[in-house]
Amino acid sequence: MWPRKAREVMSANMLVLAIDTSGSGCATAVYDGAARVVLARAQEDIGRGHAERLMAFVDEALGASARRLEDIDRIAVTVGPGSFTGIRVGVAAARGLALALGKPAVGVTTLHAVAESARKADPGRPVLAVIDAKRDEVYAQSFDALGQPETAAEVLPVGLARERFSGFDGLVCGSATHLVAGSEMAGEASRKADMIDIAVVARLGAAADPASAKPKPLYLRGADAKPQAGFAVTRAVAG
Amino acid sequence: MSTPLRILGIETSCDETAASVVLRDEKGSGRILGDVVLSQLEEHSAYGGVVPEIAARAHVEALDTLIEEALLRAGVSLKDIDAIAATSGPGLIGGLIVGLMTGKAIARAMGKPLYAVNHLEGHALTARLTDGLSFPYLMLLVSGGHTQLILVKGVGDYERWGTTIDDALGEAFDKTAKLLGLPYPGGPAVERAAGAGDPERFDFPRPLVGDARLDFSFSGLKTAVRQAAQSLEPVTDKDIADICASFQRAISRTLKDRVGRGLKRFKEEYASVAQPALVVAGGVAANQTLRATLQALCDAQGFRSVAPPLPLCTDNAAMIAWAGAERLAAGLPADGLEVAPRSRWPLDGGAQALIGSGKRGAKA
Repeated sequence: MWPRKAREVMSANMLVLAIDTSGSGCATAVYDGAARVVLARAQEDIGRGHAERLMAFVDEALGASARRLEDIDRIAVTVGPGSFTGIRVGVAAARGLALALGKPAVGVTTLHAVAESARKADPGRPVLAVIDAKRDEVYAQSFDALGQPETAAEVLPVGLARERFSGFDGLVCGSATHLVAGSEMAGEASRKADMIDIAVVARLGAAADPASAKPKPLYLRGADAKPQAGFAVTRAVAG
Repeated sequence: MSTPLRILGIETSCDETAASVVLRDEKGSGRILGDVVLSQLEEHSAYGGVVPEIAARAHVEALDTLIEEALLRAGVSLKDIDAIAATSGPGLIGGLIVGLMTGKAIARAMGKPLYAVNHLEGHALTARLTDGLSFPYLMLLVSGGHTQLILVKGVGDYERWGTTIDDALGEAFDKTAKLLGLPYPGGPAVERAAGAGDPERFDFPRPLVGDARLDFSFSGLKTAVRQAAQSLEPVTDKDIADICASFQRAISRTLKDRVGRGLKRFKEEYASVAQPALVVAGGVAANQTLRATLQALCDAQGFRSVAPPLPLCTDNAAMIAWAGAERLAAGLPADGLEVAPRSRWPLDGGAQALIGSGKRGAKA
């Protein structure tokens, strides 16, 4: 038996279940917020089929960490920007788990996760995260040296992003680095699809305010629907 | 099964986000304990139809709150629920994913079975929830997404006797409304306009009438409506009323022929059924002209006409919960948490794809 005090400390530990289905990867992790360590993770670049496989990834991380779903204190999920459908797979699952477990779910943006990974590797400088949004656009957000957001997450044409951040004094990271900062800034790794570090998602999730709103997809783009005009026949003027 | 069952139902296959708790008692009678539907009508009205991405976005932000509300209204907690039933097809894939993932997560967290329910099965079994109907019976499903005549033989046992080879009936209403500059959804708008119109002014086509098979076709009617309207441009209110009335008359006559043949076939195949029944479901079932046509048809052929209350005819989660309850009670196996959403999923596994279904097979 644990002495009473130690048991209380144990129960104050925050166990986070992290989920990322925002891109081609499917990843889950069980993170011990007090010890600041990932207890176990399950991840794979699956390309598609996140809706079918996510729950198995959840079970795999739980099993490997020898924790039960009921032990989880918080769910952290990536909310985008990324694949619209992928984001919804993760967010719907996270909100469903939160509802059933009676525990909070928090959202982590992919831009924040990408920036945080870079900041961890090269600390002490501001970070600009730029993710290739295709169609000659990038998702962009800058963070200060402490990792706090400096600008709002936004989608920008490549040219405008280059202009906007031309004097950026810091680290540029993410899959659109070569587009925004020029190829000399971009290592080989940054050209690849943004692999989100699930441990970073878990850590940012542990630090988030659980009273903040429920995780909600961050699309940054509209639904691409246009009202149909000119379809109807012309009407006679009344009177 | 001899114990009462409480099922949580989730429906997100089109533009309604819905959650419901349904009780199935020891004797097999059903009661809706809590039922919530959030319509996305306003989000889509500017587009004259359902925009899949807009629908999916709305579902994911509303569903968990609706589930909480349904539980609250039912006065139960998730612990009291025996199984989760979520629509997993057919329908718009973005919405299906939201409902199914939410259902999977709840099922996993609560350690309860998950039933991935076919949306059409929900419609097919509703009359057993509302009217305690016995098998077998015929169902006509007429909505914005479907136009089917289905033989309901038992839980999980269906035969599709007829389906549309092109547009769904509700779609024909929506497109006609859009063409005439009437508001979305088109069904109520066309019906309202038709009230003052002359149903005999235009002789619109009635495709497949007289054909032995029981399928439907409405795209030719849509084209004829467009040609009639364009030939009159600029159209007056009277023209619009006459077109709508004539359009409804053509549909009435089509249904009379198509469904009439279906009723005859049912009587031939199930001569021993003392009180044959036709269940009418789907949003188009709200149309009074079509309702009257079907009622007259049933009266003439000795069928009982069963039309569940409108909120249970259109998309709702009570029917999904009930289908889950029926499957559970019938001892049908639950689904694994790897089950995939299916945009196309014919209720009748043996149903053939018809012209226009594309290479991925029958839609529904």
